Amino acid sequence: MKASLSKQLVIWMILFVLLAGLVSCAQKETPAEVPGETEETQVPEEEPAGPEAEAPVSAEPVIMRVGTTYIWDTANPAYGWYNYTLRYLVYDTLVEEAGIGRFVPGLAESWTYSDDGLVWSFKIREGVTFHDGTPCTAEEVAWSLNWTIENEIETFSFYLVNFEEIVALDATTLQVTLSEPVGNMEYLLMYVWILPPSVWEGMDYDDIMEFEDLAAAMGTGPYRLVEWKEGEYLILEANENYWRGKPAVDRMIWREFATGDAVVQAMIAGEIDITASDAVPATAVRTLEDAKNIEVAIMESTAIDELIINSHENGSQPATLNDPAVRLAIAHAIDKQQIINVAYLGYAEAATVVVPRALDYWHNSDVQDVPFDLAAGNRVLEEAGYLDSNRDGIREDAEGNPLVFRLYAAEGATNARILEVIADGLAQIGISAPPTLMHENSLIGLYPDFDFDLIYWGWGLDPDPDFAMLIFTCDQREAGGWNDSGYCDDEFDEMYRQQAITVDHEARREIIWQMQEKLFSERPYIVLTYAQTIQAYRSDRITGFDLEAGDLLWKSAFLPARPITQ
Amino acid sequence: MQRGNYVLRKIGFALVTLAAVLVFNFLLFRILPGDPVKLIIHSPRMTREAQDRIRANFGLDKPIWLDLERLAEGDIPGTFDSQFTAYLVNLFRGDLGISFATRRDVSELLAERVWRTVVLVMGANVLAILIGMAAGLVAAWRRGSRLDTGILLAALFSWALPTFFLGIILLILARGRLPIAGMVTPGLKPADGLTYWLDVGKHLILPTITMAIVYTGEYILIMRSSVMEVLSEDFILAAKAKGLPTLRVLRDHALKNAMLPMVTIIALTLGYTVGGAIQVETVFSWPGIGRLMYEAVQKRDYPVLQGAFLLLAVSVIIANLLADLLYSILDPRVKAE
Repeated sequence: MKASLSKQLVIWMILFVLLAGLVSCAQKETPAEVPGETEETQVPEEEPAGPEAEAPVSAEPVIMRVGTTYIWDTANPAYGWYNYTLRYLVYDTLVEEAGIGRFVPGLAESWTYSDDGLVWSFKIREGVTFHDGTPCTAEEVAWSLNWTIENEIETFSFYLVNFEEIVALDATTLQVTLSEPVGNMEYLLMYVWILPPSVWEGMDYDDIMEFEDLAAAMGTGPYRLVEWKEGEYLILEANENYWRGKPAVDRMIWREFATGDAVVQAMIAGEIDITASDAVPATAVRTLEDAKNIEVAIMESTAIDELIINSHENGSQPATLNDPAVRLAIAHAIDKQQIINVAYLGYAEAATVVVPRALDYWHNSDVQDVPFDLAAGNRVLEEAGYLDSNRDGIREDAEGNPLVFRLYAAEGATNARILEVIADGLAQIGISAPPTLMHENSLIGLYPDFDFDLIYWGWGLDPDPDFAMLIFTCDQREAGGWNDSGYCDDEFDEMYRQQAITVDHEARREIIWQMQEKLFSERPYIVLTYAQTIQAYRSDRITGFDLEAGDLLWKSAFLPARPITQ
Repeated sequence: MQRGNYVLRKIGFALVTLAAVLVFNFLLFRILPGDPVKLIIHSPRMTREAQDRIRANFGLDKPIWLDLERLAEGDIPGTFDSQFTAYLVNLFRGDLGISFATRRDVSELLAERVWRTVVLVMGANVLAILIGMAAGLVAAWRRGSRLDTGILLAALFSWALPTFFLGIILLILARGRLPIAGMVTPGLKPADGLTYWLDVGKHLILPTITMAIVYTGEYILIMRSSVMEVLSEDFILAAKAKGLPTLRVLRDHALKNAMLPMVTIIALTLGYTVGGAIQVETVFSWPGIGRLMYEAVQKRDYPVLQGAFLLLAVSVIIANLLADLLYSILDPRVKAE
C-alpha cells in the first residue's frame, strides 16, 4: 500500500517535471526563432490620438529611448520626490532653469516688483493649455499656487515662503503679495509646478495623497504621460499644443534598469539612445567612448563632497580640533586630486567653497584654495606648538594631548579608499585619523549629540546658494535640521537673514560671497570636490543638446536637440 | 496515529517558527539606527510640521511596544495603541503597510511581482532538475569514467559560479541578439495575447538560463552521490543478478530510492524561490520580488522590505513543512522516529 503510494508520487512528479519542462521549452524556443527583430519595430505605431492625425508629415514617429536606474516613485507630484528631470517635461513653472542657476521666463513672460520688494506682478503667457485642453491663464496659475499653499503640498509648498496673497488681476496678470521680501524669487518659482484645476479641484488632502491616476502628471509641459509600468518603463508623447511648439522628438520611452552597468550595456547593445543623469558610472566612460556612435557628455553638477569638521561647541570632538591652525593644517594635508582620481576616475573638480562652481554667479571665485602641501601643514602645526615630543609619529599639544581624530564615512568601497587618502595625508603631518566606515543610518545616528570628529560626506545642492548657506545656521542644528557640522555663528546667521530678503541680485551676491569666505576660513567643512554628471547618447540618432543645464534630459537641454533621421 | 502525531508536530513547529519570524521581522526594522522619517523626506526644506505629519501618516509617532504613559493614566485600551499592535492587527487583515517611496500598498506591490519571480525561478528549476537528474544518474552509473569526471567537473564549476558574474558574462555575450533587460518591450500592445507573451518569453531566456546553470550543478552532485549510494546496495546487485536490463535497474530500483535526498533539496530550493532571484533579477532588470527588495534596500523602503522578508520567511517555512511531510510519505522510517 505504502510502496505503491510513493511509487505513484514519483511517477507523478516525473510527469509533472517533464510536462513543465515541455511547456517552458516551448515558451523559450518559439521567440528565439524570430531574431533580428529590432526594438523599434515592436513599438506599436498606433494610438493616433486626435491632434496627431493632422500632422502626417512624418509617418514614422521619432522615438528616443532613455535608460535610467529609477524612473520615479509616483506620477503624483504631491508626494513624488524622484526624477524632477522627467517631471519638468510634463509640467511648466512660471520661471524655468536654463543652465544651472540661470533662470529664464517660463509660463511667466516677464515680471516686475515694487520698490519694497513686496508686490510682484507676473505677465502670464497667452494661449497656453493643459494637456486635457483646458486653458491655463493667470486665473488657473493663481488657483494652482493657492492650492499648493492651502494643501501644504509637502514636495514644493515650502518654496512659496512669505507668499501672502496670490490673485489674477486679469487673464494675463498675476499679482503676488509677500509678507517679507525674498531674495531668490526666480529660484523658488522654478520649483512650483502649475497644475490643472480640472484634475485637482475638489480634492481634500487625503484624496490628493491617494491619487494614483496618471492624470496626476498632467501639466502644460512639452510632453504628456501616456503609460507607466512601475519598475519597467514609461512613455511620453509630444504635446502638440506646447507653447514653444511641438517638440522634435515625438515619443520618449524611459526604461528602468536595475543597475547603471545594465544601462551601459543596453546603450552599447543599441536598446536605448540616451542615458539619464544618474545612470552612468565613471568606470564605464572609457567603454562608452570606445563604442561606435556613442558620445559621452561630461557636465558640471551641483553635487559636492566635503570633509565635515565637528564645530559644535558641545560636540565630542577634542579641543585641538577647534584650533584654526589644526584645521588649516588638515586642509594642507588633503590631496584633492588624488581623491578625484580615486573616487571619480578624474570626472570631478577640486573644490574650494561650499557653493559649487556650476553656480558661477554665486560661486566665490576669489577664494584661493589651500594648496596640498605637507611641508606647509607640518610648519603650521609646528608654529602653533604641536610637537611630537614622545616621537611616536603623532603630534601633541602643550598639555600632551595627541592629535588623534575619528574619521568616518558611509560604507562603500570608494569611500574606503577616499578615507585612506585622507588618513595617509594626515599621518604625514603628524595627525592620526584611523578611518572607520559605517552604515549611513549610523552616521545619521551620531547627530543628536554631534559625536564625531571628521566625516567624509556629500550633498546634492540646489541651483541657488540659499540652501548651501542654510546648513550652517544655528537653527538647523536642532533635531530634524540639516546642519551637519554643528557650526553656529551669530554674524553668519545675520548675513543669512540678510541675503534671504535682499531682492537685488548684486547686493545679495556680495553677502553670499562674504559668507562663503567666512566659512572657508573657519572651516566647518573642507570642501573637497565638485562632482560632474556623466551621460551618454547615440550621436547617430540625436544631436544638439544644450549642455549648460547639466543634464541632457533637462527641458532646456533636450528641447533644442534634433533627432537625426536616416 | 503515528503519522498524525508527526504531522501535527511538524505543523506546530512551523507555526512557532512563523510567530518568531513575525516578531523578529518587526524588531529588525526598529533597531536600525537613524530616523526613518529622515529617509522618507527628501527635501531639506520641508518644515518640521510637514515632517511630523508624515511621521503620523506612517504611524511612526506611536511608541514601539506599549504606551506606558497612557497605562499610567489608566487608559488601558490606549496602552495598546502602539506600532507593534498596529503591525499585528494589520498583518491579520492582510495589510502589510504602505511603501515609503511609492505610497502603494505593500501587499499589492508584492502580489503584482511575485508571479514574475515564480515564473522565472520555476522555469529555471525545472530545466535544472531535468538536466541535473539525468546527468547525475549517468555520472553515477558510469562512475569513474571520463564521462563521469567531465560531468563532475562541469557540476562543480557551475555550482561554484557566482550568479551575478555568470549573468553579466551571458549578458555581454547575448547583447544585441536577445533582450538583456526588463520583462517586455516597452509599449508593446496589446498587453496580453500571443505577441505579448512571446515577447515576455524572449526576455525570460537569459535570466532563466543563468539561474538554471547555477542550480544544475547542485542537482547533479546530489543526484550522483545518492544514486551511487543506492547502486552499492545489495538489492541492486540482486536485480542485476536477476538479469534485469540496465534501464530497469536504474528506473525501478536506483532512481526511486535515490529520490529522497532530491525531494528534500528541490523542496528547499523552491522555498527560496521568492528570494533566490535577487542577483539574477538585478543583473537582468527583471521586475520581480528580488529587484523590488534590491531597490527597497537602496531606498530604505522599510515597509516593502518588511513585507518581502515576511513573504520570504513564510515560503521557506511552508517549503520546509512540505519537505517534512513528503519525507514521511516517501520514507516510512521517518515518521517512526
